[in-house]
Amino acid sequence: MTRPTPAGRDCARAWEAMPWVIQATASHDQQAWLETHLATCDDCRMAFEQQRQLARAVRLPHDVPLDPEQGLQRLFARLDVDDPQKAEPAPRQASNGWLLRSLAAAVVLQAVGLGALGLKLWSSPDAPTAPASYRTLSNDAPAAAHGAIHVVPDKTLDMQAWNAVLQAQHLRVVDGPNGVGAYTVVAADASVTPKQAAERLRGTRGIRFAEPVAGAP
Amino acid sequence: MPQPDTDANDRLLLQRMSAGDRAALSVMYRAYHGRLARFLSRLTRRADIIEEVINDCFWIVWQKAATFQGESRVSTWIMGIAYRCGLKSLRQHGSEPVDEDSVPEDRLPSHDPGDDRELRDWLGRGMDRLSADQRLVVELVYGIGHSLDDVAAIMQCPVGTVKARLFHARVKLRNVLPGLAGEDAPAPKEKLP
Repeated sequence: MTRPTPAGRDCARAWEAMPWVIQATASHDQQAWLETHLATCDDCRMAFEQQRQLARAVRLPHDVPLDPEQGLQRLFARLDVDDPQKAEPAPRQASNGWLLRSLAAAVVLQAVGLGALGLKLWSSPDAPTAPASYRTLSNDAPAAAHGAIHVVPDKTLDMQAWNAVLQAQHLRVVDGPNGVGAYTVVAADASVTPKQAAERLRGTRGIRFAEPVAGAP
Repeated sequence: MPQPDTDANDRLLLQRMSAGDRAALSVMYRAYHGRLARFLSRLTRRADIIEEVINDCFWIVWQKAATFQGESRVSTWIMGIAYRCGLKSLRQHGSEPVDEDSVPEDRLPSHDPGDDRELRDWLGRGMDRLSADQRLVVELVYGIGHSLDDVAAIMQCPVGTVKARLFHARVKLRNVLPGLAGEDAPAPKEKLP
């Protein structure tokens, strides 16, 4: 290619203006200036004529053998099979994303809860060995209190008289009555042995049975 | 050049297309088919590829009709889609233009006036000397009437790049194209006046 060298500033300006004058998008002043220049410059006039010829040639209808109607029918056939407007809508994808995020949040929340529970159990070493606060029927009966005495009051002894006996002999009910009306009592005074307390109870009116719990000292 | 009222009409067609109106698609397809075919014929002479690219282009236009934001004219937007589809298709099929002899005789235009044929041949001799991008810039500026800004948007490149392509294309054409037979045109010179 031979690169042209503008012969002068006016010719370079004319070269710049030619396409837009041919397009009819140049300003009125630009077009008028070019016409004036072309009237005095043979080379630019020749170049401008060639540019107009170029535009006429480029604007000729294409000569490629194509039928728009056939092309349109092929496009419709394609859309019948693969219509992008009927593809999965974006909101559905957003909904799936929301569901996944919710599930992930639930998993994280559960993990945090389990962690906190584990931390609490770890920080309380006595907790696993602490006795349960309930007893099932299959469990053994709890051990009797130290120094306990089984006592069966007579049916004629009312509540006031029974309380009076307990207060007089410094006894405290720790269990009962059971199915046969027996109470378990302990002496408040540690110096009194269960045997002594039981003998004293047996000597009291209205007491049918008094006996230290087996194994009690 | 593209007219404002044409653009307003194109926008209405796009709006209808976004609602699934295939009649609007038909109108736009027929309106753009000629200029797209000519534009793409600057890239390849293969009719099958040109039709494929035109349909790829309108498949995308149909898909994105609802999302057109209006930053440019509709024609600029569509030409840009066609340009990118054309480049993609050429990468897949190869850019070798088909030989005219391979086109079935019955698919060649039946009517081509002698003057037009001479002018077409004259242009063909010049265009053969240009790169694909230079041919496309010549088509967009001289054929369709786009501005430099439009061409830059279509080809997704700086305006300076478009200016350079246009300049070099004009210089090549000026130096290689003879005057048409019968015209009193002086022989081309190797420099600007």
